[in-house]
Amino acid sequence: MLDEDQETLAAEYVLGTLTAEEREHAEALLTFDSGFEAAVRQWERRLGELNVMVEAVEPPSKLWDRIKHEVSPAATAAAAEASHDLGEPLAAEAGSPRDLYEPPTVDVPTSDLSLSAEAALAAETADVSPADTSAALPAAEPRTIERSADVIYLANRVRRWRRLTLGVAAIAALLAIYVAVGQTAPDLIPARMRPAGSGMVARSDGSVRMQQDRLVAVLQQQPTAPAFLVTLDTQNRTLIVRRVSATPETGKSYELWLISSRLGVPRSLGVVGGEEFTQRPLPGNYDVDTLRTASYAVSLEPSGGSPSGAPTGPVLFTGKAVESLPAAQPPKPAKT
Amino acid sequence: MLTQAELVVLLAAIANGDVAAFEQLYGATRAKLYGVLLRTLGKPELAEEVMQETYLKVWKMADKFDSTLASPITWMVAIARNRAIDIVRKKGEVSIEDESEAMEVAADTPAPLARREMTEELKRLLSCLGKLDPEKQRIVLLAYYSGWSRDQLAKKLDIPVNTIKTWLRRSLLEIRGCMGA
Repeated sequence: MLDEDQETLAAEYVLGTLTAEEREHAEALLTFDSGFEAAVRQWERRLGELNVMVEAVEPPSKLWDRIKHEVSPAATAAAAEASHDLGEPLAAEAGSPRDLYEPPTVDVPTSDLSLSAEAALAAETADVSPADTSAALPAAEPRTIERSADVIYLANRVRRWRRLTLGVAAIAALLAIYVAVGQTAPDLIPARMRPAGSGMVARSDGSVRMQQDRLVAVLQQQPTAPAFLVTLDTQNRTLIVRRVSATPETGKSYELWLISSRLGVPRSLGVVGGEEFTQRPLPGNYDVDTLRTASYAVSLEPSGGSPSGAPTGPVLFTGKAVESLPAAQPPKPAKT
Repeated sequence: MLTQAELVVLLAAIANGDVAAFEQLYGATRAKLYGVLLRTLGKPELAEEVMQETYLKVWKMADKFDSTLASPITWMVAIARNRAIDIVRKKGEVSIEDESEAMEVAADTPAPLARREMTEELKRLLSCLGKLDPEKQRIVLLAYYSGWSRDQLAKKLDIPVNTIKTWLRRSLLEIRGCMGA
């Protein structure tokens, strides 16, 4: 059972009273928190009956033509393409082949979604578009050909994470406000972990300009209480995680994830240690640009981290990196 | 109007790519969905756009429909409303005329139905709603039928937004307690 905050979020999501930001948050939760998803479905059932009282209004008759037009060619194209590509039918219990051709659910230029998994998927399925209908087979045929479960699974995962990265990006815009750590919480990172003379430049107005090789992400549930502060030193390839207010349950571990549309699926940045601070070399060869644009998330996993390499537990905290470094004290003179 | 069981059968056929079944489903549900969308979106052009998106989604996701979790019409209305609310929220600062237009459309909750027209589920929900204070009942219903945010509800009803927030939270938790899982 969810706590009352989560339950209210699910209920208000269905009721429709959330702000755009809160909806983004709820939608991100929906993609990977099955408990939250179940609560939303329950609320849809509880409140959905109210539609019975809404007066029916006849839509314009031309609307059906538009809908039908979008549906029919896609179906025939799928049938044609599937039967050409797969020499033999696969008798797997997979979802509908149409899954594979679902367009992105959010309006983002496809070129921005250079997901590696998506590329792999495209290679497997060949590119199908309504324009390929010239060789259309009878529409009745598509269901005789099934994809293997693996491919469907991949397709679903890609879609899920694509939605997730977009959702998280929007939440992050919100969170970024609180990432003005330099002004509001100057001592979130202890002095020994600050890079020596890291190139902060004091300006005459007293503000501090940070050197561009530090990325900081605050991961939090409530805007007022950061739970993790993640600092990435992209020059020295180090990662520092500070647990600010989060306490892990016994027998569980927090695991940090890097979520980027460039990577397709979340990549583990390792388990957050039991101490207040975790410092370690930054795993992987992610380039600075990926790290800068990525979102970061912490999920609750079995002790020692996710057994599968993908998040399995609820994602508790999300946030986005900003290029910054908390200023601990009046900044030292800029490095020469 | 087709029965719920007939709609479930249609969805199963649609999951198999049956365009004729899709047309039947459209015929049986279009006026309800369009009514819901007009209420939330106010503008016919927008409502038509979301109709199109909704039915395409239904076509693609018919195999995901689970009749143990929802009735077909509830499932479809949820898809449509979700999209509509996303649009009105993300448009953010809708121009003032837009907003007042939508507000007029949605200003009142629908007229009550005769009891015999109600589904069992609806009766159960209404009896739980009936246990709330009248003003809280009104807010929950108004929120559902208009798709207004807490801010809009506060403005429209001239109640502080924090009060709206607290009332909604309490009301929803009470409804959950009353209806059970």
